[in-house]
Amino acid sequence: MHSVDPSPIQHLMREMGIDEASVEYRKRIVGIEARDLERIGAVRELVVQNAERLTSSFFDYLAGLEEGRALSGDRVVLARARELKREHLVAMVQGNYGLEYARQRLELALLYNRVGLDLRVFLAAFHHLLERAGEILTRHSGLAPLEGFETFMSLKKVAFFDIGLIVDAIVFERERLIRQQQSAIRELSTPVLQIRDRMLLLPIIGVIDTARARLVTESLLRAIRDNRAKVVVMDITGVATIDSRVANHLIQTVTAARLMGASVIVTGLSAEVAQSLVALGIDLTKLNTVGDLQGGIEEAERSLGYQVLQRERPAIARGE
Amino acid sequence: MAVPILKQGEFLIASIQAALSDHDLVDLRDELAGRIGRFRARGVVIDVTALDVLDSFGTRTLRGIAHTARLRGAKCVVVGIQPEVAFAMVQLGLSLDGVPTALDLEEGLFLLGARGGDGASAV
Repeated sequence: MHSVDPSPIQHLMREMGIDEASVEYRKRIVGIEARDLERIGAVRELVVQNAERLTSSFFDYLAGLEEGRALSGDRVVLARARELKREHLVAMVQGNYGLEYARQRLELALLYNRVGLDLRVFLAAFHHLLERAGEILTRHSGLAPLEGFETFMSLKKVAFFDIGLIVDAIVFERERLIRQQQSAIRELSTPVLQIRDRMLLLPIIGVIDTARARLVTESLLRAIRDNRAKVVVMDITGVATIDSRVANHLIQTVTAARLMGASVIVTGLSAEVAQSLVALGIDLTKLNTVGDLQGGIEEAERSLGYQVLQRERPAIARGE
Repeated sequence: MAVPILKQGEFLIASIQAALSDHDLVDLRDELAGRIGRFRARGVVIDVTALDVLDSFGTRTLRGIAHTARLRGAKCVVVGIQPEVAFAMVQLGLSLDGVPTALDLEEGLFLLGARGGDGASAV
């Protein structure tokens, strides 16, 4: 299934779902056709000859900008980036824009991302490079103005294909943190706590989507079996909004718990949530609801036959 | 495969041991309906602990058994639904509405027994 030690780029490509088909699709989006390949082929030599100059124009432009220092400040990274960029320019005119080509673009994107290169600056520098390329084309290719323009546009399609890949990869990498945090929140926020013998507390905080509802239900059912619970108090004070889908998830959780012989008391429906549920016409009469968590726990204790007695008024309650 | 039905005082216990065919389930229903009258049973416990799947036919038949039992004067409790089974059932929209459920055999007997009815499970 998975190779043992995939390179970071291979890994990224798999995560982003970049394969032969998606690369072809990307090419179709920017409109690279056979004619474009022909035109690019005609100026191949010229671009390869000027690759060094164009690379310099890109990095010099970056170095001239405050935000570009992130890249130009690190010698090792800069040397590698220059090398990749030069290879990029040569590859750009080879007419072969397959999976391997995409892989090379992603390698550069990962490098940019590592030094935290500003996307605006990257786009500006790339545009600057294209401008230089256009200049070289019109001056030295010996093509008629219209042909020159068309050739330049063909090259630009490839450039936009590249930009699409690079920007996607950088954004994907930046969103990685968000995805990690989301999964951490999910893991953290579904505790099932035993608060009395045979009585569980399930506080739900945050957004309930289908995946999370599943997780909550599964961990609750397992806890019911393991703790031999008879009553569950489900507190949804921390759920900001409830729509029909969320309500449906709640009902499913309650129904599943009931199938295992545990009754569920739902607490913490705020005034707003209650009103919006009524307005939406969602029927929650199947659920046993109690105003707040305290009331829910008291109700659960009663049903299990507990009686809580306060022996004497402690100092705290007397206000001393 | 036939389901053994045990008599325990005034209760009958049907313990399902393995996956049942639709036919077996129907047999169980008929057998229970007869025995409730013969033994003058007051309650029936159907133990499904061993089942790892309950489909729509199984659910419907269980409901049918419970309602039949009630008409014959015995309360019926389904016990031992596993977490995975419970989850799959709600996902598929299958319900045991009107049938009391309990965690295991002990709880089921308790539900039918001395405290009959005020157990944890909603009826």
